[in-house]
Amino acid sequence: MEKTDQEQVAPEQQLTGAKKILSKLKQLVRPTGNVHEQRLRRKMKLTSLITRRLTLIKTAMFVIGYLWMVLLPVPQLGRGTFVDENALQPGQVNTQWNWGDVHAADLYLGQLEQMRDVNYTSERRAEWFKEQFSKLGISASTQNYHFQTSAANMTGTNAYAVISSPRNPGAEAMVISASWLSIIDEGAGTVNIRGVSMILALAGFLKRYSYWGKDIVLVISDGYLDGMQAWLSAYHTPSQSGLTADRLEIPSGVIWTALNIDYPGHSFSHLGVFFEGLNGRLPNQDLFNSLNRIARYTAGVPVVLYDHLDPREDSAADVSFSRVPSFLYNIQFVKSYLYQARNVLRHFGYQYNGRGSGVHGLFHQFRIDAITLFAVPATGPHGFHALGRTIESTLRTMNNLLERLHASFFFYILKEPTWFLQIGLYLPSAILISAAMMFHGLSIWVDAGWMKDDRSKSNEKSLSKETPAPEPEWKRRQRPVLDVLSIMAATHVVGLILFGIISSRLFISNYKNLGQPLFSILTTAPVMIIMPLASQQMFRKDVARRATILKAFNLCFASTVISIITVLNFSLAALLAILLGVPLVMSSSSLQTELPIRMIKYTAYAFIGLGWLLFAQTQMAQAIWDWQILSVWFAPFVCIVYAPLVLQAGISCLI
Amino acid sequence: MHSTSKTLILWPLTVLCLAARVTGQEVFDEKLSLRTLQDGKVESTFTFTTLLKGTLPRDPRTLDEEDLSQHYKLFPLALGQILREYAITELHLNINAGNWNYDRWGYPEEKGVGTGAELWAWLGDGATKTVDERWRGLRNALAGLFCASLGSLDELRTTSPAETFTPEGTLPTWGDSLSHQLRHASLPSEHVCTENLTPFLKLLPCKSLSGIATLLNPHRLFDADWHGMGVHVLWREEQGIEMRLTFQSVSDPLRSGLHKKPDWSMQSLFDRTITRTCPVARTSEIMVLLPQNAAYHIRPEPSSVSGSVALYDVASVEKPLNVDLLFHESLTYPLEYRSDSVPFTVRRVLLGSTQTHGQLSVTITNQKPYTVQALYLETMPWLVQFYLHTLQAKVDGVTQDGIISNITYIPPVAHSRPTTFQVLLTLPAQTTVHITMDVTKAFLRYTEHLPDAQRGWDLPPAVFTPLEVGPLNLNDTNVGQKAEEKRRIYTSTLLVDLATPDFSMPYNVIIFTCSVVAFIFGNVFNLLTRRFVVVRLEEDKGKKE
Repeated sequence: MEKTDQEQVAPEQQLTGAKKILSKLKQLVRPTGNVHEQRLRRKMKLTSLITRRLTLIKTAMFVIGYLWMVLLPVPQLGRGTFVDENALQPGQVNTQWNWGDVHAADLYLGQLEQMRDVNYTSERRAEWFKEQFSKLGISASTQNYHFQTSAANMTGTNAYAVISSPRNPGAEAMVISASWLSIIDEGAGTVNIRGVSMILALAGFLKRYSYWGKDIVLVISDGYLDGMQAWLSAYHTPSQSGLTADRLEIPSGVIWTALNIDYPGHSFSHLGVFFEGLNGRLPNQDLFNSLNRIARYTAGVPVVLYDHLDPREDSAADVSFSRVPSFLYNIQFVKSYLYQARNVLRHFGYQYNGRGSGVHGLFHQFRIDAITLFAVPATGPHGFHALGRTIESTLRTMNNLLERLHASFFFYILKEPTWFLQIGLYLPSAILISAAMMFHGLSIWVDAGWMKDDRSKSNEKSLSKETPAPEPEWKRRQRPVLDVLSIMAATHVVGLILFGIISSRLFISNYKNLGQPLFSILTTAPVMIIMPLASQQMFRKDVARRATILKAFNLCFASTVISIITVLNFSLAALLAILLGVPLVMSSSSLQTELPIRMIKYTAYAFIGLGWLLFAQTQMAQAIWDWQILSVWFAPFVCIVYAPLVLQAGISCLI
Repeated sequence: MHSTSKTLILWPLTVLCLAARVTGQEVFDEKLSLRTLQDGKVESTFTFTTLLKGTLPRDPRTLDEEDLSQHYKLFPLALGQILREYAITELHLNINAGNWNYDRWGYPEEKGVGTGAELWAWLGDGATKTVDERWRGLRNALAGLFCASLGSLDELRTTSPAETFTPEGTLPTWGDSLSHQLRHASLPSEHVCTENLTPFLKLLPCKSLSGIATLLNPHRLFDADWHGMGVHVLWREEQGIEMRLTFQSVSDPLRSGLHKKPDWSMQSLFDRTITRTCPVARTSEIMVLLPQNAAYHIRPEPSSVSGSVALYDVASVEKPLNVDLLFHESLTYPLEYRSDSVPFTVRRVLLGSTQTHGQLSVTITNQKPYTVQALYLETMPWLVQFYLHTLQAKVDGVTQDGIISNITYIPPVAHSRPTTFQVLLTLPAQTTVHITMDVTKAFLRYTEHLPDAQRGWDLPPAVFTPLEVGPLNLNDTNVGQKAEEKRRIYTSTLLVDLATPDFSMPYNVIIFTCSVVAFIFGNVFNLLTRRFVVVRLEEDKGKKE
């Protein structure tokens, strides 16, 4: 058919331009001649196109990736928040919380202040909470818990109460909680006193209404994170290692959403929202969006992220950083950029180490969407009244839910309370870098498989005058895969041992002194073991060098790790992209460099990989605590995956 | 003239029919009992009993024959027809909303308080239609009658735990070979509301127009903390077929928070008073359980008071009747709730947050100073399957043998049959027994997912039946229960999360699935059908490019 068409057209000699193009297109779509050959040629062309420009492509990907990260806080990037789940209907109810309830909260506050000043033990405090709940006719109980691990030894008592929803089987529940210690300085000692009185006052208030479709569980957890972890663990799992806790006497149903209240100050000006959860999990954004709407339109309280006031709205926060000149700062774009950069960085800081930003984060491990409402301390104008209305309306919204919050609304970076980055706008930055690493690794791997033939070189010399550019003869050569894989496995085993050491009781109890020796042992041991082996290696032209292969594998593995981590914990992936991206690419395997230079390089890698043993000791102890109590996998990840990866790059400089 | 002659001809026929009809003498009694509970809530139980004197349930062997004609004066024909059509000997239907709190509210007057719908019936065997066919017909007919989703009480939920659900009446002995069989099913997600109450009221001889049934005001009943209706049909030897319609509710006079005294009146509870007597009722009485440890005042003066029960005879008291109980002092909630009428308290939870495995954990606290034996029954849909070898019982934290005995276990069949799991528990005096068992959660076929919003799957309550309530030599009068009065204790229902695709995004799901399938299919198809040839590339051509 095709051919006959062309034959008919060809003799006419009066082809218009359009027809020419058409026939060319036809040729492209249904080519004549040997189709297979053409396809192969096309493939080869494409491959050579990419391979010839590989360096350019890699560099471009690196540059774009890093630039993208820097550009994340650009105010124009992203979109406005919206409520996706129709069932939520935020802010559609008339709130009943009134000054009588505020008075009740004030009365509780008075009693709590006395208790705080007299320094009640947590057990006595919990008993008191239970009594207060019981006096309201609500089933209440206490739970003693005790954490006993190498990093922690904590005891406490939680109090909780369940308002059974009328006419409902109690198979579903929502939680309002307050931890005894406030989120300020991560539970450093400020008592969340108004948050706790709020819970008590809410108990008396919420039981008055019959429209609750889910049980309301009120939890006053002891300590900062430990109490809630013990409570949640007992609620959901048969047992947690290292934890001995009472069984919960009053069970309730499946929890979908939870609100944690943190109100340590006297009054507040803004409601801050903390949302990052354990292991980089985020709550469904609908919960945050609903709260945002309710606070703004029902209670008239502005919502902010964390405790960051918006410099464009609040003059109090409108202070330029010392390093930024004021004329530059006053440009609207710069001001917005700096504000959003601050939010994004804070978010990264909470997310990368998997610790989350507060008590709400503990809920996420059980698929419960939870956020912390933080009443940003100020001299005014808001207090119990506004907070109560916000919580009441939010609970009504949570009560409306017919199913768990879903709709893939779990991937986002909130840049402002009403502006966020979708997954498609931030994920490519880290993915580009990881892809560039993969390309680099693969190109090294491919290159290592070939060598220039010596004979061709000699031929080249003799014939150089006659043929100016002869094709060099390429010969395949062996690549020592098994050796390299054993080296890599060995480093990861070392990582595992390292993790075993630093989580042991002996090390944790004395980590400030033991960090340095451990660092020295771990950095010198590979040198001691590898160097003699490396010197034994005969330099053979027909076998690729181990260092080259190690570098290739190292890059490919690091790239894979980063790509996987992007969807689990983007902040960690971004950090890895920065820490591993360029440094791993820079590791050299050339034998020409002097040994001292190579040693310096190795030391640099050792510092990147294990420097935290020296410079971030408290964070290290914290990460171990997180792992043992909250099962945050950041510490084992750093020891078993990250540090070995960097060490591998270092070793590839040595051998 | 013509018509009279016709009547005259029909007369003997009518007489014949009368001779062969089902009806005996019919008696209707109504009763309302009210009591203030420990936490200030008020339990009201309506009981409407119709007795068909001297009648027998239909013999299943006569199912093929023409049935006797049914003429009732008080007994509801709609229900009578269903009973005779499927030859039901005994029938119990409960539809409840809420979770009965045994600790606070004590043992209920009507024992079927499991959340959701529960239907069980005893049917005689030996008919040409099998028991299961008749059971299916029965639940569909009742679904139509009561506007409830009883039709979904299908084979996936039907079990026969005959030891727990023993007949409350007598089972007739029609022949030697004729046995009776039990069918039981429960649907925890069923909710009772107005659409169920309206057909319920239609079964009453006076509807809700007069008598005690006037108080059945849906606006107030369905605002209560707990409410449930029940239909019970049973046969009592030497008396006849008894139909008992019940409605129970627990309302909270203190809910508004405005009053501190748990005062109640019919007006406040039901927003209605009784203005007329039901003329066909033989007895019509209101029983008020008077508070024991509080000063109170009751209006109007009861017809009689016996012990702590005030009795009103609706026929004789002055109308409109509005019983009003006033307390002198406000209620202080007790810090601990304990009920003497319940031998032990049970808590059942499903632990484990993963979508594949979990642990069923049951905690039973026996507060009595003697050992209690109880049957523990789980009728679990196949969605949750037990690992029986992990069954473990601990007494106050220590593993102990001899707690669990007589295990009856009918394993589930995936996609069709539920588990029946029954054990005999021996609960030592004043101890807490903790029973755990690992479970696995099923992976559903996509057509088995419910079409509506996905909140999870409701699992029916477990049922505990105390067998021996204490040794008989104990001089406690409350302890010695009558053997036939088997009490059942229902646990709360559970909600289980199974692995569920995000159905709210069908478009994305379709795109992803189709892409993956197309990708795999395309590759495999390509490899299978492709002919591999060697293609020689000409060097010069390559160079030109």
